[in-house]
Amino acid sequence: MPFAHHVMGVEGAYPLLYAVWLLPFAGAVACWAFGPQLRRLAGPLASAVIGAAFAGTLLMWGFATQSVGGALGAHVSLGAWTRGFDFGLLMDPLALIWCIIITGVGFLIHVYSIGYMDGDRAYARFFAYMNFFVFAMLTLVLSDNVVGLLVGWGLVGLASYLLIGFWFERPSAVAAARKAFVINVVGDVGMMFAIFAIYAHVGSIGYGDIFANVPALGGALFLICVGLFIGAAAKSAQVPLHTWLPDAMEGPTPVSALIHAATMVTAGVYLVARFWPLFSSSPDAQELVATIGGITALLGAILGTAQWDIKRILAYSTMSQIGYMIMGVGVGAYEGGVSHFFTHAFFKAQLFLGSGLIIHALHNEQDIRRMGGLRARMPFAFWAMTLGVLAICGIPGFSAFFSKDAIIYGALRHGHPWLFWTGIVTAGITAYYMFRMLFVTFLGEYRGDVDPSDLGIRHPELAGTPLPAAPSHGESAEEPHAPAWIMEAPVAILMVPSVFAGWLLFGERSPWHAFFAQQFRPEATVATGIPELAASAIVLVMVLAGIGIAYYRYASKPALENATGRLQQESVHMPAALSAAFYFDTALDILFVKPAQGLGTVFGRWVDPKVIDGAVREIVLSCRWLGHLFRSFETGLVRAYALIVVFGAACFLAYYAFARGL
Amino acid sequence: MIANPYSGADWNAVVPLSIVAVAALVVLFADLVTPKGLAKRWVPVAISAIGLAGAAFTCGEGWGHSYAAFGGGFMVGGFATVFQEIVIVAALLSVAIYAHVGEDENFSGGLALLLWSTSGAMLMAGAGSLMTIFLGLELLSLALYCLCGLSPRATAGEAALKYLILSSAASGFMLYGMALFFGATGSVALAALAGQAVESNALFLCGTALFLIGIAFKLSLVPFHVWVPDVFQGAPLPVTAFMSVVTKAATLAVFARFAYAAVTGPHAQAILAPVYVIAGISMIVGNLGALAQTDMKRLLAYSGIAQVGYIVAALAGSTALGLRYAIFYLAAYTFMNIGAFLVVALLSTSKEEGSALAAYRGLGRTRPVLAAAMVLFLLALAGLPPTAGFVGKILILSANFDAGYAWLAGLLIAGTAISLYVYFKIVGLMYGRHERPHPTEVRPVAPLAWAGLVACVLFTFVWTFDPLGPSNVLPLVK
Repeated sequence: MPFAHHVMGVEGAYPLLYAVWLLPFAGAVACWAFGPQLRRLAGPLASAVIGAAFAGTLLMWGFATQSVGGALGAHVSLGAWTRGFDFGLLMDPLALIWCIIITGVGFLIHVYSIGYMDGDRAYARFFAYMNFFVFAMLTLVLSDNVVGLLVGWGLVGLASYLLIGFWFERPSAVAAARKAFVINVVGDVGMMFAIFAIYAHVGSIGYGDIFANVPALGGALFLICVGLFIGAAAKSAQVPLHTWLPDAMEGPTPVSALIHAATMVTAGVYLVARFWPLFSSSPDAQELVATIGGITALLGAILGTAQWDIKRILAYSTMSQIGYMIMGVGVGAYEGGVSHFFTHAFFKAQLFLGSGLIIHALHNEQDIRRMGGLRARMPFAFWAMTLGVLAICGIPGFSAFFSKDAIIYGALRHGHPWLFWTGIVTAGITAYYMFRMLFVTFLGEYRGDVDPSDLGIRHPELAGTPLPAAPSHGESAEEPHAPAWIMEAPVAILMVPSVFAGWLLFGERSPWHAFFAQQFRPEATVATGIPELAASAIVLVMVLAGIGIAYYRYASKPALENATGRLQQESVHMPAALSAAFYFDTALDILFVKPAQGLGTVFGRWVDPKVIDGAVREIVLSCRWLGHLFRSFETGLVRAYALIVVFGAACFLAYYAFARGL
Repeated sequence: MIANPYSGADWNAVVPLSIVAVAALVVLFADLVTPKGLAKRWVPVAISAIGLAGAAFTCGEGWGHSYAAFGGGFMVGGFATVFQEIVIVAALLSVAIYAHVGEDENFSGGLALLLWSTSGAMLMAGAGSLMTIFLGLELLSLALYCLCGLSPRATAGEAALKYLILSSAASGFMLYGMALFFGATGSVALAALAGQAVESNALFLCGTALFLIGIAFKLSLVPFHVWVPDVFQGAPLPVTAFMSVVTKAATLAVFARFAYAAVTGPHAQAILAPVYVIAGISMIVGNLGALAQTDMKRLLAYSGIAQVGYIVAALAGSTALGLRYAIFYLAAYTFMNIGAFLVVALLSTSKEEGSALAAYRGLGRTRPVLAAAMVLFLLALAGLPPTAGFVGKILILSANFDAGYAWLAGLLIAGTAISLYVYFKIVGLMYGRHERPHPTEVRPVAPLAWAGLVACVLFTFVWTFDPLGPSNVLPLVK
């Protein structure tokens, strides 16, 4: 299929781009290979490497945004295999935004981990995995072709698996890691088929070629988009492939912050935004993506109201927020979706790291019912969490206000009024459950010393946490711990963008708009009966209502006075559908896991040992027998050998004698 | 005065192999004048290495040229250069083994014979006429007969005698075939045979049969392979390593030249078919035979029978790509096979060669580096990634399918499947948990052998990527 070769970026050398891409890999190899030698230096080394990659990303800014003759961004060629298989790296504004978050937020989380993971037996292994994750994620976003994308996609899944199961002595961590991996592979397969179909129709794997030949995809376009979106949904925890994300919180908290909140789970958003020329050409696919996104946003928020584990609350809020993003890129409001990714990465990382401060101080207690009254004990964590919660709720002036409203109003502008209302309702529920978490955790009296069953906790054997020890240096003298500031400083730094990053988006002439002006073609809009300001006002009212209900239930005077009793009541009377997360796990278990196990049993008990092994055994036996047969010709006697040679010669001569009639 | 019919260019053509032959003389002379002691070993080895390196260099000079020296008797450039370089590299690696395990008695003599044998193989690689083929073949073989017997062990003498008797018979077949060729054409030039392949030409057909019998014997294709296991096992280790590659490379050059340049016309493939049939049989029989072996040298002899079957199969159909892939696989085979022999050499003790399979038990723990290198070579021989052996086999398969020899490809795959069992048995021995490590005597460091091993490892790995590069063009035979 002859066609002109299209490259999306401006061709060049860009040594910095290689550095950004490969530095984390080098760090991973160093931490993995020299872990025992590096000891406590592994953390600072790994952080420095990511910091350097971040600096490199910023230095690439000028190249990433350059535009020469329709080519946008910087491109380097990594060589071709055969025609149509050209590999390369592409850093355009879209990739740049992701790189900034991956390396920038990644750097802060690495620094935080130095403190959080201090004293862990596998300290160096942790940082090797973290660096490897960053490398995998950069491969995913920097690749200029679908094969590189798939490789990055798979490596990211692997890194996530390794990190969720990082504490592999815990059976629950291993199960969660396996679940995440399996669901991610389901997505990988969907994506793989889409890629096969793309190559079959276009004859090239490069983005440039694919996007220039969208009409060539013809009738397969919708199915290709669906295949790509299955990959996106699995990685971004969209309904019904979302069940792995809450379980993934088994990993260390910095992992949750980096992978399962700020970067990896947003890969689906990146995918849809990257393939916007395909999705924009298929209204059906857009409808599907936007609908799934809207449902996920709402479902995640509803489930978030029923959680007691602080990290699971944050996990469901992540799922819900990514639902927003998917909805944004689904309706065609690409800028809105991408900007919500950008702001979300900051405040969600801040929330997770803030919760990590609490968990760390309470010696791995994660149940908010056993917290309470922490405001006085941990003022810094309180303010960090409060700012994060205000940001995620979209209080005017905070970052999510701008990005979330861009998505919600975008849904209306692109002709999806019911998604608009879904977004508004979700915003209200979000405010409720986030403030619920904040109030229960920080206000009232400390409940760590209350009998767990009085709080409605069903498995009190898992409890038994002592009071957070007042910082007494005598006790920790035997094992030097990293200073507390190394965990607080990243959180403090994250506060700045999580509050202010939204201002980039403010107004018609926002720098953000200019930034992406060349990346996405504006989609068709419809006339709306509601002006943007009015929409924002409705959202605000919903948010305030959510906060009000949360205040009434958890922070008002009577609620605080009888906190223990109320929490017990709520725990006991939690609707079954909510505590079972709407039975998605059960459904998946019956639909897929059980049949797969049955099939496995059939193969394991009968087909494999009897049919396959049996055949193999027969072949091996006959090969051995033949081997011994041929060996019996090896008598060691020259006359026997000569006889065989003469026999062969006779055969040869006979052939040529009869071949006279060739 | 008779005018010299040959120009300077003719003489230049044989400079590389003359260097090797003269180096052998220098080795013998140096042996007389060097004092006893360590120098007795290192001076001859150094001279051989320098001679071979010089030959490699001068031979490389002829790379881009294309010249028929001595009236077409000896060819320069392209095809001949590639085969000569392979022979030289194999000889160099064999010298590295020889320097490590060669017997003190007759040390220089053996080295000189090795070099003369090398020069014979180089002559065969460039031979363009029947006479030079035979000259090279005899130079190669005569030196090898002596080399096989050059060990105080009883089996060495037996190996030498068997080799002499059977190989002489094969030479007889070949010489008879050449005589019939001469009768058919009145010329000794290979080029004169072109166009003779017609059904009525009985002289040519009989000559081909006899000539190819000789070739098949030297290539050790089934059923002319019977001598190989005994001779490989009995001969000293460096000689076995040398024979396993150099004899086959030189004979393969002759066969390729014969198949591509001399057998032309519509019946060409039918005339060459018997060779491909026995190449296919060799893949199966060689690997099956290797199954039952307990001695590393014998096992490698059998695996070599199968490997040469793969290489010959690449030529089926006489396609340009097939020849290129055959050369690629031969070069890869040189490194992986001699690499395996180098491991055997490094495992050898002063009393016995490290060829008994029992010596590999638990090697992964006692000698981890050697075991890892061995695994790489075995992977390459089995044709698994990431080695040049894998790429070579894929290329041969594609050449076979393109040339319409799908049945050969099928046999290749079947043979490979059997060979996995052979090679992984050794890997299992080296790394098996229940195996008790075999105590090994650690010999002093042998820099040359280790350098050779590193080179083999590097090439076995790095060549994997060669065909993917933009210029995977090897010059072709005309």
